[in-house]
Amino acid sequence: MNCKEALPLIHEYLDGDLQGSDSQRLKEHLISCQACHALFRQLEKTDAMVRMLPPVRVSETLTAQIMSGLPPVKKRNSWMDFIRKHPAVSVAVVFATVMFGSFMSMWNDDTNLMVKGSNLQDVVIEGNTVTVPQGHTVKGDLVVQRGKLKVEGEVTGNLIVIDGSLNLASTAHISGHVTQVDEALGWVWYKLGEFVGMLSH
Amino acid sequence: MNFVEARLAKLARNGDRNAFAELVELYKDKIFHLAYRMLNNKQEAEDAVQETFLRVYTNLHRYDENQKFSTWIFRIGTNLCIDKLRRRKNTYSLDAEMPDGEGNDYYAMLPSHEDTPEKQVIVSETQEQIRQAIETLPEKYKSVVILRYLHDMSLQEISDVLDMPVTTIKTRVHRGREYLRKRLEQEDQVGYTNPVHM
Repeated sequence: MNCKEALPLIHEYLDGDLQGSDSQRLKEHLISCQACHALFRQLEKTDAMVRMLPPVRVSETLTAQIMSGLPPVKKRNSWMDFIRKHPAVSVAVVFATVMFGSFMSMWNDDTNLMVKGSNLQDVVIEGNTVTVPQGHTVKGDLVVQRGKLKVEGEVTGNLIVIDGSLNLASTAHISGHVTQVDEALGWVWYKLGEFVGMLSH
Repeated sequence: MNFVEARLAKLARNGDRNAFAELVELYKDKIFHLAYRMLNNKQEAEDAVQETFLRVYTNLHRYDENQKFSTWIFRIGTNLCIDKLRRRKNTYSLDAEMPDGEGNDYYAMLPSHEDTPEKQVIVSETQEQIRQAIETLPEKYKSVVILRYLHDMSLQEISDVLDMPVTTIKTRVHRGREYLRKRLEQEDQVGYTNPVHM
């Protein structure tokens, strides 16, 4: 080993990082080379002396000074706090709001009369009035949206009136349930129920 | 990992001032020691400590609990001191007002005739020479040497604090050590009865 190789190893040793075989080689070099040995001792002594430097004391009032220098406790925005702490819930709320909004706009946009059923040949439509005449039978469900429904005859399924009016004559005969949906929220419920029903079939 | 400190930081973040005061008690001496060795001016060091804790306080929400609190606070303190050293170097006029806006000028930064804290305790020529040697260290070796020797940090910890690769830290420790050796040799403190010059 020459002196140029020895210096980095001396530093490694002082860092506490020198491994076995290198440490042996360095030792052999230091025994044979006076100059490096002296340098080694100087560096080692430098380390020891720097470590010796005593810690300095802080003034007694420093803690109070630091604490009084802090900004006053901010009243934090509780909404922002909530969002920061519950990101998943926040995303779900935003999602639900957007979904609800689109349902609402669907509800408000559509103003046309809609009649839905599997058997509509016995239904009479005049203007926005839908009539099931006396003596006629609608087999299956009947759905009327945004119109007046007048039932004088028979419906074998369910009757659903959305955002409209229902007039059942004394001769009317409904086999299933009668559902009237008037509000957007009720309509959303109805849609959800329909959706769930579709899934479960 | 010190759970107590992470817990205190969490409490302080939620507005518990007593928890923050405990963190101040735990770290003010260490940060002051660091700042005093970096800046070599008691008043400036106290300002640096106060500023460090202010930054810690206002950035508590950014503290990552998986990280050691000591690493984080030392990083803030060291960066602050390095900034102060740089600002000092860039200003040439002693009459220019300090950027801290408190009406200090650079005369205040000149070494005072007042005794240093060491001198007030014990008058040791050797210690004074070491202090001066560290003071003259170039800034980039200074922070590394102070963290390594006065705070007993490992190379890895210093690398975390300064956000630099371990190899860079290692090189700086070696150069800093070499620099100090030469300074102290000039002062004939590390010299031997038969000094060897290279």
